[in-house]
Amino acid sequence: MKNFREILNNVFLDEERKRILTKSPYPPHYGERKIDGYREWIPTRSKLAAVLLKGYRIDLKPNTKMLYLGAASGTTVSHISDILTKGIIYAIEYSAKPFVKFLKLARERKNIIPILADASQPQKYSGIVEKVDFIYQDIAQRNQIEIFRENFRFFAKDKALGLIFVKARSIDSTRDPEEIYKDVINELKRDFEILSYDDLSPYHKDHIFVYVRWRK
Amino acid sequence: MLKLKYNLWFGVYENGKVKVSKNLKESFSKAENPEPLPFSVSEMGTDIFGKKYYEELRRIAIDHAEELVEGELKREDRYVIALVRSLDELNRTINLLDEKLRDLKEIKESAIVRDFEEKILDLKRFRGELEKEIESVMRKIAPNLSEIVGEKIAARLLEKVGSLEKLAELPASTIQVIGAERSLFKALSRIRRGKEAKVPKHGVIFQHPFIKGLPKRKRGKMARFMASKLAIAARIDYFKGELYEKLAEEVRKKYEKLSRNPK
Repeated sequence: MKNFREILNNVFLDEERKRILTKSPYPPHYGERKIDGYREWIPTRSKLAAVLLKGYRIDLKPNTKMLYLGAASGTTVSHISDILTKGIIYAIEYSAKPFVKFLKLARERKNIIPILADASQPQKYSGIVEKVDFIYQDIAQRNQIEIFRENFRFFAKDKALGLIFVKARSIDSTRDPEEIYKDVINELKRDFEILSYDDLSPYHKDHIFVYVRWRK
Repeated sequence: MLKLKYNLWFGVYENGKVKVSKNLKESFSKAENPEPLPFSVSEMGTDIFGKKYYEELRRIAIDHAEELVEGELKREDRYVIALVRSLDELNRTINLLDEKLRDLKEIKESAIVRDFEEKILDLKRFRGELEKEIESVMRKIAPNLSEIVGEKIAARLLEKVGSLEKLAELPASTIQVIGAERSLFKALSRIRRGKEAKVPKHGVIFQHPFIKGLPKRKRGKMARFMASKLAIAARIDYFKGELYEKLAEEVRKKYEKLSRNPK
């Protein structure tokens, strides 16, 4: 398509209609539209799409090896799978129900390794997941930062990248979100270099993303 | 001496050598290590499987996940119900023992009485663990119900009804009065006899601060609204299992509106 601009491997920005799409030989996974070999990447369904649409650039290469915590039914993973054509995604999810749908995706795509496990216990899958370039986390739990850090300790290559999504209300529902975000950033600063962060409005309410690099 | 033994999905690494497992599915499920591995599993695995490493890993991972998923879906709601019932029993027992302890202490503070007290404290600690387990399973099998009313009340609803499947089939009006069956049927029989009756506004869900915290005349409205969202939540939990934050948010907004509005 002529008026599409490639912003990442296989990710295209349609500036005219303010939307992004991934080039994909596979059928739609979550009800998104498919147009001439491109799957529309819906920002209200996938937080990563919201980050990209807001103009932030996340360094995903065709050969990136990724550990993905909180795969759910695979909405976002399906697009990342389009991007990492020579890479691999280790997808961790704790709940069985959404994983049924996820397994359909995993059977179709060659670069997804599905693992039904608790992300707060990386030791349980330590003999399965290799050292990775990128850790992605979208799990909305009170101790999610600690979980993020533990997974880096287990699986991150030196200077690995990370992207974490934090929902203020799942950390503390009584405090002001702005304050919580400040704490989150400060806590992350101990082990990570902060590359960028922002909220996800207007696509997702009360969420921020933080893009980081592991200091080790 | 360092103990160099690592459990990998395709076997065990010990003293610089890999012993490849004969049953990959089994070794996959036991690939646990207390600390990070000092090497990358894939490098070691490529020595064994060559180019087919990821193909093999993917095949085993999918097979394993499929088995787990099937088992989990069947068991988890029964598990949580059994836990809730055990918790009830434990509470009763602790209360009873506490009473006996008090009696004993008034008579004599002997070594065995102190021992007894220690055992009761142990039980109370265990009760905390049991509650945590209930919360964590509920989050997993019923994220939407849990988000709206909290894990405890959600677990109680499940326990009263018997399974997530049944809960998903109930209309909101029934969910609203789960746990208030006695007063409901009493009211219904009075109505049948042509007498005046008070139909209950809420059952188990009354325990939630959003209902308890409102003045009496607003509780019915809140309970009705909450039950309608719970009915939707139960269906999403049963059929999809993914969290939709909107539901809980709507309930919170309704509560805020009702608690502000003086009428």
